[in-house]
Amino acid sequence: MEKTTENILEIRDVSMIYGQVKALQNIDLTVRKGEWLAIMGPSGSGKTTMMNIIGCMDKPSSGSVILDGREISGMSSRALTEMRRDRIGLIFQQFHLISYLTALENVMVAQYYHSMIDEAEALQALERVGLKDRAKHLPHQLSGGEQQRVCIARALINYPRLILADEPTGNLDEANERIVLDLLRRLHAEGSTIIVVTHSPEVAEYAEKTIVLEHGRIARTTRNAD
Amino acid sequence: MFGRMLRGALTRQKGKLLMVAFAMALGVSLATAMLNVMMDVGDKVNQELRTYGANLTVVPRGASLVNELYDLEDERAEAGASIPQKYLAEDDLPKMKMIFWAFNIVDFAPFLEMRATSAGRAVTLVGTWFDKHLDLPTGESVDTGMKRLKSWWDIGGEWARDDGRDAMIGKNLADRLGLKVGDVFPADRQNLTVKAIFESGGPEDDQAFVPLHLVQELSNRPGAVERVDVSALTTPENDLARRAAQDPNSLSRREWDTWYCTAYISAIAYQIEEVVADSRAKPVLQVAESEGAILRKTQLLMLLLTVLSLACAALAISNLVTAGVMERSAEIGLLKAIGATGAAVSLLILTEIVLTSLAGGAVGYFVGLGFAQIIGWTVFGSAIATKGLVIPLVAILVLIVTLLGSLPAIRMLLSLRPTEVLHGR
Amino acid sequence: MTKRQMYMKMLLSSLLRRRSRMTVALLAIAIGATVLLGMTTICYDIPRQMGREFRSYGANMVFVAAGGETMLSLSDVDRAAALLPRESLVGVTPYRYKTVRSNMQPYTLVGTRFEQVRKTSPWWKVSGAWPTTGTEILIGSDVAEFARLSPGRTIAISGTNAKGARFSREMTILGVVRTGGVEDDFLFMDLTALEELAGDAGRVELAEVSVAMNAAGLSALSALIQREVPTIAPRLVKRVTQSETSVLSRLQALVYLVTLVVLVLTMICVATTMMTVVMERRKEIGLKKALGAENRSIVAEFLGEGVCLGLGGGLLGVAFGWLFAQTISVNVFGRAISFNIYLVPATLAASIIVTGAACLIPIRSATEVEPALVLRGE
Repeated sequence: MEKTTENILEIRDVSMIYGQVKALQNIDLTVRKGEWLAIMGPSGSGKTTMMNIIGCMDKPSSGSVILDGREISGMSSRALTEMRRDRIGLIFQQFHLISYLTALENVMVAQYYHSMIDEAEALQALERVGLKDRAKHLPHQLSGGEQQRVCIARALINYPRLILADEPTGNLDEANERIVLDLLRRLHAEGSTIIVVTHSPEVAEYAEKTIVLEHGRIARTTRNAD
Repeated sequence: MFGRMLRGALTRQKGKLLMVAFAMALGVSLATAMLNVMMDVGDKVNQELRTYGANLTVVPRGASLVNELYDLEDERAEAGASIPQKYLAEDDLPKMKMIFWAFNIVDFAPFLEMRATSAGRAVTLVGTWFDKHLDLPTGESVDTGMKRLKSWWDIGGEWARDDGRDAMIGKNLADRLGLKVGDVFPADRQNLTVKAIFESGGPEDDQAFVPLHLVQELSNRPGAVERVDVSALTTPENDLARRAAQDPNSLSRREWDTWYCTAYISAIAYQIEEVVADSRAKPVLQVAESEGAILRKTQLLMLLLTVLSLACAALAISNLVTAGVMERSAEIGLLKAIGATGAAVSLLILTEIVLTSLAGGAVGYFVGLGFAQIIGWTVFGSAIATKGLVIPLVAILVLIVTLLGSLPAIRMLLSLRPTEVLHGR
Repeated sequence: MTKRQMYMKMLLSSLLRRRSRMTVALLAIAIGATVLLGMTTICYDIPRQMGREFRSYGANMVFVAAGGETMLSLSDVDRAAALLPRESLVGVTPYRYKTVRSNMQPYTLVGTRFEQVRKTSPWWKVSGAWPTTGTEILIGSDVAEFARLSPGRTIAISGTNAKGARFSREMTILGVVRTGGVEDDFLFMDLTALEELAGDAGRVELAEVSVAMNAAGLSALSALIQREVPTIAPRLVKRVTQSETSVLSRLQALVYLVTLVVLVLTMICVATTMMTVVMERRKEIGLKKALGAENRSIVAEFLGEGVCLGLGGGLLGVAFGWLFAQTISVNVFGRAISFNIYLVPATLAASIIVTGAACLIPIRSATEVEPALVLRGE
């Protein structure tokens, strides 16, 4: 298999049904290594469900999901946790930093659950997002943009195969949105695979490819001219 | 709108408010149980202390107590005999159950002694009631006598009957005479049956107890009684009672009424003297004083235990209320974000919590009554009297605890900036 | 930095930087531990403390002469008294009886030691004063009434001594004693002075002993005395010992049960508070799971916090619990509490266990929740 065509994620015929509600129906999707994909769609279209499945936080009702060459739909929750820890970096709309830990410690928590603690490396990650001087600050002492950058540093620290961002700019003003998106772009340029869930076309524009979900189906796929 | 929000919170925030209600129920049940037990513990322990036997002796006025305890020299016996004997009338005894404090007279037994010879040896016969059934003119009936009064006696055999020719022989006397249960015990002209050999650990071990009427017949003193032991439930003495014991006439009219209508031992003694002719009722201080001391200590102990555990409960519960309110920081941040004033938010939260607490408190009250009864039946084998006074006390406690618990939490919540709460800080 | 150091750092940060919540938790645990230690200490000490109070009922053992003798020697009484445990001995009072006459009336004159009488018979009510010298006398209230005597007056007593010679002495009445018992008929004076009058010393009819001890302990003592001092026959005063056993066991049961109820309710309260505090952190648990934390490490973190809180609250509780018990003991019994040192580790262990268990229950339910639900669903 050639490097450029290596698929990091393959979704085949995935459906997700909550009781009577069909959140996702027969989704097929492939994401190559190094690709930047945006998932769009109005509220209730299945974006969040999609993100949960890709992020190994939920298993589909039917279909197969192959992440980094491994089928996850039959995995135990323990194995899912392992997949999530080793291969995925999560960025949340609401940042979700641990309130009583400093920026640096929040990054180190991800190291802690993953493998080894390396303070120098964590500090380096903060430097990459431009927050080296804020390392000792607690979350409530940071602005929203800064918190999101800490969140990105935390997502990067374990060299994930896939960065999964859920409305990363949803709580940010324009200036901070730009900073965060530039960061993502730099990561992409460095070779990271990124999936962004958003409903903002501006954010989606940064991606190479956009899929639009409607009523749990992929309504269309567009390739953005770079 | 306030009402609607309140109703919404009360019906839809069930989980969180349930916690507060639960906490309050716990606290109130503890308070109810402790307060009820505390208020009744005096009566209960008083009842228990009756095992020490008589705390009043009634003797004929002007007669000295016949010394039995230290009756060691013959000369003394002659001396005793030289004192002119006076007696109480047996017929007066039921009147003791008709005085103001009749219910507090738990048991009593009359005594009449005589010297008799049994198989050539001198013995002391004591006539008494063992388990006498009395029908009072009031229509009530009473069973009383030695059986209840001397609970510490070790009885080998069974209690003598009041109408039979039975005898109960003290252990030492039985040893000397070589008597066993079922033997015939000759006393003067009578042949009695030994129903029981008893051990009292006191001077009674050298005596023989027989039905009162036998001694009255044998010594030719019909209807006479030398002494009556009375066991009464009393209130511990205070200054008033001590003054009254010295001289009831020194009291003012009001003091006298208070004294007469309180179950002080001196008041009961006074009332007995009123109904039993030519009698003198003397408190047996060994029992009366000590039971006062024990009662006071027990009540104080329970009071302090109650106060301290209530304080702890209050703290613990207000703490829990604090925790419950804190949990709702997000909701309060939202309310503030959409323009609610601090006062409005506080009022809403307070009303919610007070209503919840009251509901929890009501449940807790009945659970607490249950606890009190469990304690009552387990420890004393009888129900704890439920005091109405507990309800207002508990209500005040609930109010204080609720306010105490919500105020720090509310202060903390009001100092929150809405954005911080909503954006997960 | 090792993982262990990181663990400690997270633990400390959580405890120190979330001050208001942790105070709430710590306070709850401290209250629980206070009640636990305070109540159990009182429970443990109640028989001793109350036993002392029951000594107000007076002597629970009487020494009489063994083997049909009427008198026993004082030196034997002293030897027997030395066998009694010093810390629980309340008093030993010897009584010597002598028949005397005053104004042709016979009276029983009792020689005793007044400082001991006040210990073994605390219910004696003396109007006037207790005699201190050999020419002073205390008279029973019936005697006072019968002979119309009162404190300050004198009474002439006469009798025959051991050698058959007559004696008489003018005594000053210092006080009138009232007990409601046989003492009301007697005259009391100092034992040594009575021995002087009677002409023989060192022998008494009986000695009353008051020991703060339960019936079983008294029986053992009685057997010991019988073996060591065979001239003395110790008798238990059944009325006092038996009744004390029954009343004391009731009181003890009462305190035990009250303690149990209070403890159960307080522990539930502590557990509930801890649960509330942990429940609040569902989101944090969700986040940690999303970051790849295994349930095991989340449990380890919360348990770590629980143990720290339990230990801290337990230590506070030990201090306050001791104060609690001491306050009650001093106020009710006027004596310091005897403190059982083993209750300290027991209290600490109990508060750690309760806190830990209270943490685990909500964590279990929180770790079962899928992280996605916690993180997005508000």
